[in-house]
Amino acid sequence: MLSGNYVVALDKLPDYNERHNSYVLSQLENGRLYYLMGNWEQSQQSLEVAYEEVEKQRRAAKYQLSRGVQNVGAVLSNDSALDYKIPAYEQGMLHTYQALNFAFQGDLSASLVEVRRANLVQEQALRDNQQSIDNAKNTLINEGLDVTKLYSAYPDMSGIVGGIKNNFQNAFTFYLSGVLYEINGDLNDAYIDYKKALEISPDNKYIQRDVLRLAYALHMQDELALFKNELDVSLTEISKSEMSDGGEAIVIVEQNMVASRQSVSLNLPVYTRHSDIRFFSFSLPVYRQNTVSTSLTLTNNGQSHESQDIVQLQSLAAKSLVDELPWLLSRQVVRVVAKEELRRKMAKEGGDLGNIIASIYNVTTEKADTRSWSTLPANVKVIRVPLKHGSQILSLSNGRDVTNVELDVTKNSRHLVNVIDIGGKLQTRQTVYF
Amino acid sequence: MKKLLLISTIASAVIIAGCSQRTVVQYGDEKAVETTDINFGSTDLQKVAANMANSLINSPVVGTMTQNKRPILFVERIKNKTSEHIDTESVTDSLSTKLLQSGKFRFVDMTRVDAVKKQIDFQQESGMVDATKAIQFGKQVGAEYMLYGNLSSIVKSNQDKSDVYYKFTLRLMDLESGLVEWADETEIRKTSEKKTIGW
Repeated sequence: MLSGNYVVALDKLPDYNERHNSYVLSQLENGRLYYLMGNWEQSQQSLEVAYEEVEKQRRAAKYQLSRGVQNVGAVLSNDSALDYKIPAYEQGMLHTYQALNFAFQGDLSASLVEVRRANLVQEQALRDNQQSIDNAKNTLINEGLDVTKLYSAYPDMSGIVGGIKNNFQNAFTFYLSGVLYEINGDLNDAYIDYKKALEISPDNKYIQRDVLRLAYALHMQDELALFKNELDVSLTEISKSEMSDGGEAIVIVEQNMVASRQSVSLNLPVYTRHSDIRFFSFSLPVYRQNTVSTSLTLTNNGQSHESQDIVQLQSLAAKSLVDELPWLLSRQVVRVVAKEELRRKMAKEGGDLGNIIASIYNVTTEKADTRSWSTLPANVKVIRVPLKHGSQILSLSNGRDVTNVELDVTKNSRHLVNVIDIGGKLQTRQTVYF
Repeated sequence: MKKLLLISTIASAVIIAGCSQRTVVQYGDEKAVETTDINFGSTDLQKVAANMANSLINSPVVGTMTQNKRPILFVERIKNKTSEHIDTESVTDSLSTKLLQSGKFRFVDMTRVDAVKKQIDFQQESGMVDATKAIQFGKQVGAEYMLYGNLSSIVKSNQDKSDVYYKFTLRLMDLESGLVEWADETEIRKTSEKKTIGW
């Protein structure tokens, strides 16, 4: 994939059928690869299938008997036997990419439907969030494991997580939603979404400019006064960006790929029901490397503009994993204790041979679940520039590669440019709305 | 013994053959109420089209409009503001069909303008059609009224249940004066509850 050879990458992806527990993940990866190839329709179909699976999971009964059967399988081996459950940040990106698929096919109202679905995902995640983490911690304590021991033994991912508050709030989703609403003429809806994006990513200059511009256009006097105190973008910059007969370019840069999960082994003490403390070996997923973020420069008409980060998907992935840890561990505790009981029984009844077989089974089936949507970009940046009328050339550079985009600018034309920066090489696509 | 074996083989073959038919296809009643899931479905589409058409046909304002003539309408579009991919053109098709069948209105179709232009071009320019029998440009009748609307939804869900509320609003605008002569709305609510135990 790093060399840009997406067709080969697609061939290498496994082809699961519906009943396989990683089917939904394979559809997400397919969707992303088709998107990178520019094959909007195929990408849309794959992501639609993934969305159907998510909806099926959501509609399922509260106590699913089939899940019970799966759980038994997972208790006997490892977490990879369970259906892949898509975390909230991946669901948000699913709808964001669907919105982009529709936008690049010219269907603005369909892309707005997807943007509304992304919004619903974020609202649902907000409600589920804190409750779920508390429940998990309580379950762990009931199983006899000390939660503080877990966090002190687990490798420190705080560098990767950074300063984000939760694992699903994605400024990119809100910003794209604002852009699409603005193109559609719904300035009020766009303003609300730009403000949400600003709340998550307050240092992004382009979002600040957009909020101010719309506050001005919608005559939000009270909010304008508030913003002028907090933000450092002067009003004169706004009037400059309202060119009389030109248009604008909204450049969305997707850089690098999110790191894949790796496995780490921890030895933690568990209070077993034979009322003794024993150390068990657990295998948990972890993110070891952080990904590098390099800035892009856009030059047009002698002026250069720097890109600004809008979301670090690597941080969202890491935070999502940290929040998931108590659940992962609680399942493993049940599993490891069950396997230990199996080993004791087999040792009693089968003697040494039984002991050896059970130990081998314990060791070989304990693997961390390292599944995740690994073709997502590591971070997303944005550049938004006003353009003069006529034929314009945007020159984009990331320090290693330079590429040019030619645009034909007419009055109020909005050019959506998507830049893929993987392995240092740049690749661009564009569409235009009037 | 052999007879038993033979019977059991035949029986199991029959059962396996029967088991291999996984799906059963049947025709249903197109007016039946459909409750597969909480999304916008056929029953909602039929209800909306029927309500709006009846409301428009029986409205007093429209009564005065249609006393001596049949006004000419065109359907602009229904804006989909929901979080589902709904084919709103299908809703407007049902609606305009019902209105046409009532005999009180006439319609022009803005979605086929290009096809018509192509056809008239062919008749006039291609030289294959008899000039006396060909259709002339510039003889079409203009629309007097425009039908347009919005479809919006409010979705709420929690652990146990989901609730979706649809609101379909339709307006009739006089193109010359800009006045909205008629407006109506249809509301639909669908709820679904999660089963406690299931497969």
